[in-house]
Amino acid sequence: MIRVAELSKRFGPVLAVDGVSFEVARGEVVGFLGPNGAGKTTTIRVLTGFHPATSGRAEVAGHDVATASLAVRQSIGYLPQEVPIYPDLRVVEYLRYRAALKGVPAKARAGAVARAMDKAGITDVARKLVGQVSHGYRQRVGLADALVADPPVLILDEPTSGLDPNQRRRIKQVVRDLANDHTVLFSSHILTEVQEVSSRILVIHRGRLRADGAPAQLVAGAARRMLHVCVRGDATTLRAALAAVGIAPENVTANGDGTTTAHARVPSQVDPTPALAERLLAAALPVREMRLELPSLEEWFHTVTEGCDSADEVAAAEVAP
Amino acid sequence: MNVAWVTFKKELFSYCVSPVSWVIAFVFYWWRGFEVSATVRVFAEYRMDLDLLPTQTYGLTSTFLMVILVPGILTMRTFAEERRSGSLETLMTAPVRDGEIVFGKWAAAAAFYSLLWLPSVLLLHTLEYGPFLAADLAFGPVFAAYLGMFLLSGMLLAFGCFASSLTDNVLLAALLTILFDFLLLRMPQQLGVFLGDASRNYYVRELLDKLDVQRNFSEWFSRGLVDTSQVVFYLGGIGFFLYLCGISLSARRIA
Repeated sequence: MIRVAELSKRFGPVLAVDGVSFEVARGEVVGFLGPNGAGKTTTIRVLTGFHPATSGRAEVAGHDVATASLAVRQSIGYLPQEVPIYPDLRVVEYLRYRAALKGVPAKARAGAVARAMDKAGITDVARKLVGQVSHGYRQRVGLADALVADPPVLILDEPTSGLDPNQRRRIKQVVRDLANDHTVLFSSHILTEVQEVSSRILVIHRGRLRADGAPAQLVAGAARRMLHVCVRGDATTLRAALAAVGIAPENVTANGDGTTTAHARVPSQVDPTPALAERLLAAALPVREMRLELPSLEEWFHTVTEGCDSADEVAAAEVAP
Repeated sequence: MNVAWVTFKKELFSYCVSPVSWVIAFVFYWWRGFEVSATVRVFAEYRMDLDLLPTQTYGLTSTFLMVILVPGILTMRTFAEERRSGSLETLMTAPVRDGEIVFGKWAAAAAFYSLLWLPSVLLLHTLEYGPFLAADLAFGPVFAAYLGMFLLSGMLLAFGCFASSLTDNVLLAALLTILFDFLLLRMPQQLGVFLGDASRNYYVRELLDKLDVQRNFSEWFSRGLVDTSQVVFYLGGIGFFLYLCGISLSARRIA
């Protein structure tokens, strides 16, 4: 339903999106992750026809964004990051106006607006002026607007931004419900939220796509895993044992009850636990606990984005004279 | 045309609930009532030719302000405010054609501007049945003057929409339109003075005369005369500025 190939967008000297390619299949819910300023909103704005691409190609529902913008816009419901307001209209009037603008037939308009308000949970503020409702409600008015014409593709740019936990929960439930008969691309920088809702995530950072896959799959394929070791003994001996098997711990902490704990990141393809166990036994350090863990999504995200920063900086330093 | 009609209704509603619109209407009618009353007293006292009355009301300061200031104030928010608040993004990512949005917004501004003029018909009515003149006003000059005002204001409002599409600063949009309105009203005369002998050339003279809005009104519309070339000039101006406005919005997509 969404196909992006080598998409780039430049604003003057700034390359906001740099050769991004991905596809989203019908009925898929895909989380679009990235730190602030990563290029999520710019990519979304190109997909919605608000900005032209500098190069590359984007298609939504089989229509080219550049040459068939109107057909693309007929296929999408879009919730922008900042939901704008027409303060002088009531919520229901605003949604009726938007439904009419989107070509919902007059006879079906009242029903479509009622359904969208119900899904977004804003029926109780239907008669309030848009300018008088809270930020959370305004966000949900924007969601109802995206849903009102029942488009096959939904593009939601940070739909839970600024919402309280209950409102977030509701929005996540709405997105989950939509998954059955809609294609959803939603951006966020809140990892747990993306993990809960989407079957697949795309990570963008500094305008480039850094990862694409199911959350569990991506984490399993992480370059490093976390080693936790707890022994009865002192920190110096534990450090020496770790060093002997080539592990540099991130931290070593004396717990105060005669035990010491160490944490270290180790390459995913290596399992250092047998060698380490032998070394600890040889050093007469009774092992209380030893486990090798996959990183959490948050740790993985940090590695992918901040790690990329480091890699980019190293590459830049190597290229620089 | 569905989008244009939907936009027209929404924008007209916004004008009707905007306090700015009612302040304009109040100031205009307060001032105009005072001026028309004073003019009529002069006509009655000196028993002047009533055919001159429409010309005289055209020259009133309130008319001048309606032409110079009000189009800029009415249209300053059309696109600049949408751009500033971010609602332009939701508007332009909806399945709408830019031209339909532009036409709907302009038509709403023109309709509200016409509504502002509507009560002035009552002022004319009082001339016929009021205590001052009991005049029998000719329908032709009155109709032509209103037609001329509608065409002129339509062009100024179209420019206002265009100016508003260029910026997210409503004040700048209003000032651009006011400057344009002022230049349109004053420039042809000033240009004639500036050109000196060159302005005596038949073609230059004709061109300056056609562009001279004040002359169009004082010598044509307010005397009940409608010149087709003037109608085409104003309609062309409306179409031209609305087209530029559409281009200004579309440029975002093709940049």
